[in-house]
Amino acid sequence: MMTFIKLGWRNIWRHRRRSLVVISSISIGVFAMMFSAGFMNGMNVQMVENTISTSLGHIAVHRRGFQDNMKLEFNFSAGPKMLETIDKTPLVKAWAPRVKMQAMVRSSESSRGVMIVGIDPEREKNISKIYDYTRKEDGSRFISGRNTDEILISREMAEKLDLLLGDRLVVMLQDKDNEIIGTGLRVCGLYETPVNSYDRFVVFVGIEKLQAMNGLGKNISEISVLLHDKKDVDTVKDALIAGVNDRSLEILSWKDMAPSLVKSIRLFDTMMFIFFAIIFMTVVFSIANTLIMAIMERFHEIGVMKSIGTRPRRIFFMILFEAFSLGLIGVVAGIAAGMVLHVVLSYTGIDLSLYQESMRVWGTGSVIYPVIRFIDIVNAVIIVFFTTFIAALYPAVKAARIKPLEALHFI
Amino acid sequence: MPIITINKLIKDYDLNGITVNAIRGIDMTIDKGEFTAIAGPSGSGKTTLLNIIGGLDYPTSGSVSVAERELGGMSSRELSDMRLNNIGFIFQAYNLIPVLSALENVEYILLLQGVNKKERQERAREMLREVGLEKETDRLPKDMSGGQQQRVAVARAIVSEPEIILADEPTANLDQKTGANLLDLMHDLNKKKNITFLFSTHDSMVMERAERLVQLTDGVITTDETRR
Repeated sequence: MMTFIKLGWRNIWRHRRRSLVVISSISIGVFAMMFSAGFMNGMNVQMVENTISTSLGHIAVHRRGFQDNMKLEFNFSAGPKMLETIDKTPLVKAWAPRVKMQAMVRSSESSRGVMIVGIDPEREKNISKIYDYTRKEDGSRFISGRNTDEILISREMAEKLDLLLGDRLVVMLQDKDNEIIGTGLRVCGLYETPVNSYDRFVVFVGIEKLQAMNGLGKNISEISVLLHDKKDVDTVKDALIAGVNDRSLEILSWKDMAPSLVKSIRLFDTMMFIFFAIIFMTVVFSIANTLIMAIMERFHEIGVMKSIGTRPRRIFFMILFEAFSLGLIGVVAGIAAGMVLHVVLSYTGIDLSLYQESMRVWGTGSVIYPVIRFIDIVNAVIIVFFTTFIAALYPAVKAARIKPLEALHFI
Repeated sequence: MPIITINKLIKDYDLNGITVNAIRGIDMTIDKGEFTAIAGPSGSGKTTLLNIIGGLDYPTSGSVSVAERELGGMSSRELSDMRLNNIGFIFQAYNLIPVLSALENVEYILLLQGVNKKERQERAREMLREVGLEKETDRLPKDMSGGQQQRVAVARAIVSEPEIILADEPTANLDQKTGANLLDLMHDLNKKKNITFLFSTHDSMVMERAERLVQLTDGVITTDETRR
C-alpha cells in the first residue's frame, strides 16, 4: 500500500500549480468557515454575556409566575436561611436582590413606560455591569445608597425625555394596593449598555426607595445569582432548587429566562451550517473537477497499470489517497491561517462601530471578539474529509473501471 | 509442449456500424522458449492477436489457451492475475509509470505480486543490471532516452520471470542501433531464462532476428516459417 501512497503523493505534485489551486480553494473554504464560525460564536457569546451581565444574571430566584407576568404581586421574602443557602452553594460568585416593576417616568417634556429596578448598589456592582456602564467620564454617578432620591437612566432615555444629569423626573407606579403613586427623583447618572432594548426601558433606583414607594416592605421580586463559570449553570440551578426547597419559588437559568436568545443562537448555528454547505459545495466541484482532469490525463497510464495486473481497488485507493492528501493539506493550511487570524482578532476585535446602532439591536456591542471552539475545528476537518470523499468517489470509480485496452489506444 | 494454443480464432469489430474482420480464423501454437515475430502491415491484425493472447481483448469466436489455461472462461479478475503472473508486456511507447524511478518501475510488478521489499529491490536492481541500467536506477522516465526507457520496460516485463513476453512493436520508436541492442538483450534473456517471446512487428530487423516468423495479412496467417 505504501507504493500506492507514494504514487498518489507524487501524482499530486505532477501538476503543482493545479494542485495548489485545489489546496488553496480548500484552505480558503476552511479559513472562511473558521472566520465566520468565530465571528458568529463571538457575536453569540457577547450577546449572551451582555444579557447576563445587564439583566438576567446566570440564575434568578422568583416567585412562581413572575417570569411570565412581572406583576408586583409576585414578590417574596428572602429570609436569612435562603440567603445563607445561596451564599453557601458551591460555584456561586455573588448574588443581589432586586425589585422589578412596570412604571412610568415623566419629565417636563415627555413621558415613557419603563421597567424600574430597585437595586442594592453595592451588591449590584458584583453581579451586573450596570456600574461599569455608568458613564462616569461624563460626570454620572451610580446609585449611592439603598434609599436615596436618585435614579439612574440610560443615555438614550435621557435624550428622549430631554433630561440632563441632576434634572428631576417623576416616577409614577401602582403600589401593592393598586394606588397610583408619584415620586420625584433626581437623575444621578446615565448609563449605556450594548443592548439597545435594555437601555430603552430600564431605570434603576435604590431598592429600599422602591420598596417604600410600592409598599412591598422588605419583600423583593428576584434574587439574581452570578456564577464563576457559565457552564455550571445547570448544576448550580439544581443545587439551589434542592437547597432553597420552596415550591412557591421558581429558580431559572438564563436559558429559561431568555428562550428567544437561545433560539436566535440556534438560528445562527443553522445559518452557519447553510453557509458552510455553500462553501463546500464549491470545494466538492473543485476537487472533483481536478481529479477528473487528472484521470483523463492519466487515462493511458492507468490503462497500462491495469494491463500489467494492477487490481481496480488499488487504482481506486490511489485516487482516493490523492483526494485525501489534497484535503488534508488544504484543511491544515486553512486551520493554520484561521488560527493566526483568530489570535490577532481575539486581541484587536472586529470593530463594527460603523454599524453601532444595528449591533446594539443585537445586543452584541460594536466590537466583536471572535471565538473559535474546538468543535468548530473538528467540524471543519469532518466536513472537508466528507466532501473530499464525495468529490473523489466518482473519479476514483471511473479510474478503477478504466478498460485497459481502451486506455492503451488512448494517447 | 505448446505454451500458447490458438484455435479457429476470429475477431470482429464494430466500427461505426461497419463490421471489421480483424482476425479471420487463426490456428497456431507457440512452444515454450520460442522467439517468434508476428509480422504484417498496419491493420493486418497482429496487435489484436497479441491483445487477445494477453487477455486484454476477447475473441468473437474460437479459443486461446495460455500456459494451459483457457482464456475464454476467465473473469476479468482472473485475467488480471494471469497478466500479472504469467505474462510480461513490452509496449511500443514504453509505458513506464512517469512518477516512479527506473528501479521503482521494475519493482512495481513484484510489489503487485506481494514480494517483500528487500527481495523486490534486490531482484529489480539485478534486472536493471542485466539490461545495462545499473547506474540509472533512481532516474525518472522523463530523464532517460527512449532506448533506456524501453530497457526499463523490458526489465519490468522480465523481473517477475513470466512464461511469456508479449512485445507490441518494441523497436518502433527506437533508432536502428538502439533497436538492435534491445533485440540482442531480449534474445539473450530468451536463451538464458527460456522465456517465450512473441513480438508484433513490421521492422525488418526484428523479422530477421526472429527464430520463427509468422506473416499475417488481413487477419489470416499467410506464412509461418521456423528458422532454428
